[in-house]
Amino acid sequence: MMNYVEHFPALATMVLFLGAFLVTIFGGKNKTLRIFLAMAAATASFVMVLCVAKYVIIDGNIITYWLGNWTPVKDYAIGIGLEVDSLNAFFALLVTLTTYLSGWYSIKYMSRDEGGDYYYTLYLMLSGSVLGLVLTGDIFNMFVMIEIMTFACVALTAFRNWSKGALEAGFKYLVIGSLGSTCTLTGIALLYAQCHTLNMAQLSAMIAKVGITGNSTMILAFALLITGFGIKSYAVPFHFVAADAYMAAPASVSMLFSGMVNKAGVYGLIRVCYIILQTMGLGKVQTLLVAVGTVSMFVGVTMALNQHDFKRLLAFHSISQIGYVLTAIGLGTALGVAGGLYHAMNHTLFKGLLFLCAGAVYYATGRTNLNNMGGLAKKMPQTCIIFLIAAFSISGLPPFNGFVSKWMIYQAIYAKSAQSFGYLFVTVVALITSTLTLASFIKVTQSAFFGQSRPEFDDVKEVPGSMLLPMWVMAILCVFTGVAPKFVTEKLITPAVNAVMSVNKYIDTMMGAGYTEKITGSAATEISAEQITIGNWTPVMWLVLFGIVLVAFTVVAVFGKSSRGYTNNSKEQPDNKHATFFGGEMATRSTVVGSDLFWGFRHNFKGYFEKLEGIHSGVVNDYAVWAIGALAVFVMYLNAVL
Amino acid sequence: MMIQNYVCSIILLALGMYMLMVKKNLIQIVCGLGLLDYGVNLFIVSVGYNEGGTAPLYVGSELEYLAKNGAVYFVDPVPQALTLTSIVIGACVTAMALSIVIRIGQTYGTLEADQIRRLRG
Repeated sequence: MMNYVEHFPALATMVLFLGAFLVTIFGGKNKTLRIFLAMAAATASFVMVLCVAKYVIIDGNIITYWLGNWTPVKDYAIGIGLEVDSLNAFFALLVTLTTYLSGWYSIKYMSRDEGGDYYYTLYLMLSGSVLGLVLTGDIFNMFVMIEIMTFACVALTAFRNWSKGALEAGFKYLVIGSLGSTCTLTGIALLYAQCHTLNMAQLSAMIAKVGITGNSTMILAFALLITGFGIKSYAVPFHFVAADAYMAAPASVSMLFSGMVNKAGVYGLIRVCYIILQTMGLGKVQTLLVAVGTVSMFVGVTMALNQHDFKRLLAFHSISQIGYVLTAIGLGTALGVAGGLYHAMNHTLFKGLLFLCAGAVYYATGRTNLNNMGGLAKKMPQTCIIFLIAAFSISGLPPFNGFVSKWMIYQAIYAKSAQSFGYLFVTVVALITSTLTLASFIKVTQSAFFGQSRPEFDDVKEVPGSMLLPMWVMAILCVFTGVAPKFVTEKLITPAVNAVMSVNKYIDTMMGAGYTEKITGSAATEISAEQITIGNWTPVMWLVLFGIVLVAFTVVAVFGKSSRGYTNNSKEQPDNKHATFFGGEMATRSTVVGSDLFWGFRHNFKGYFEKLEGIHSGVVNDYAVWAIGALAVFVMYLNAVL
Repeated sequence: MMIQNYVCSIILLALGMYMLMVKKNLIQIVCGLGLLDYGVNLFIVSVGYNEGGTAPLYVGSELEYLAKNGAVYFVDPVPQALTLTSIVIGACVTAMALSIVIRIGQTYGTLEADQIRRLRG
């Protein structure tokens, strides 16, 4: 007899799609009704996923659910199956939490926009597709969900089609997103050609039997799948469209993008690399993922330093944080996966919160340009406090959650450097990225919330309670996951890591006990990951690392001297506001705006920043060249090393 | 021979990618997306084809009879279902892309990708 909870994964997905249809049919005229329908669907799905999470993560069950009861015949999966282990449940929890809170926020935030029924339809379709993506056990079903997701994303990006660049961002997203979907579908077709099944568990067993090394069809499929999911997770060099989309979309949608859409890409990468193709044991694949992650980290954060639009800046930070996640899961160790999953969860919390803060500022002032803001802390004290919590979290300051996960990731990377010297470099990049993140958020805090207020802001008011409520919930969660890391790792992260690491259990649960042994010839062994603790570190190694960083710093300080001592020769007109600092003259209103901070730093690295700006050219063809070029590089690299 | 199908699908995919990378007109970029779709569709259908196979339409008794009197040989129906799904999705992508292109044309007054770059840097 099936437990009633086992029906919930399918129902939780369906209720969101049903909500989307009902909103379209009945919500056209009546505003209250459509909000009620949308929130009812989001709440129902959230509650169901909570039940599933308890049943799967806490009680340790794995749900298998064959749609239409098409169970496997003669060891061949013929129907679409859902399989929910702790990894799926973990991501489903993130997805529904984001959906639910974003829904609350949207009620007020979207109330000034036309076409609310379209908004809620697309919002529910996006949520439903991402939830379906993370719960399914069938790889083609996953592709269909990716397509629905891309669709809803494009439409929501272009939703405020009157705002600057929304249409353009939507089009670019559509082109690159479709390219990613095509890659994924081709990869799936190649897998089907080799294994004649679409069920992930069965695929995994079949591929383990065939073996991937030396089989160029499999390698091509792997490269295509990595590219496809890499595009969905917006890693560099697929990140161009993400920055545009986050910026152009309404804040509640940006929160959905950074909270769950790129998590769907991360989930897909974990599923493909760890479970389906089981390639994470190979050092060369680890190198590839870590390289992509490291570049994403660094490029994201340096681009963010250069931005003056609130949401575009946050978008580049989002790319940078996904770099952390990819680096951590690319390590292939239990501690690395734990750090990656923890950081993925934290990223959902703090980045969603930051986007909500940007939305609140936009709602109150109508501005997103940081150079036109200032002194909002007095007008919007609650938003300011929430923003500070989120900013401290993302910068990795100790009592908040960013510290915990970043600390785990540093440890994981550093532990890996015993194997290869290159990981030492990755550790240094991760530390520098964290510092630059802090620098960038000092800039945002200073230019938006502190400093002298502007006369235009005299009648700015705090945003309404229904917008503050989801923000406070996320802020409290940020603090909670920061102060109780042991509780969170024990209850949530460790089961998910165990699920990632025990492939055979995943296969056997879906296809029947003993299936793996029959196909691959090796007995199913349950691997349980080592107990992951936050204090997993060796002080001596860190002292060595500290020494290296110190030496690097000294070298830069001594040899970098020649570039100092020049004035800022930018083409900008001289401005009175600097006179207060340099000449001693009084200025009536001296607002230190966003681009005033760290200009020295940016001036010293002018060549680098100009080159990066040139790469982010805004031409959709260039973005396609980067994506296809990366695909070509992946194919060649993997063919060369596997 | 199936080799032509695979060669054709790869040519279609390559042409689609070429159009995405080189063509500046937005309509042509949408055509490139279409070509990518057709390439993948042709590829999936070819994967499921068995030389000399029949249509996979049998009722239970026929299947038993055929199984008794030799192997049942038919083309794989799953890729055909996948292709149908993919065709539908492709049509939707094209429709949506063209509708956005229309709005871009109205707003920007041009369809050249080089001039539609308000978001950059």
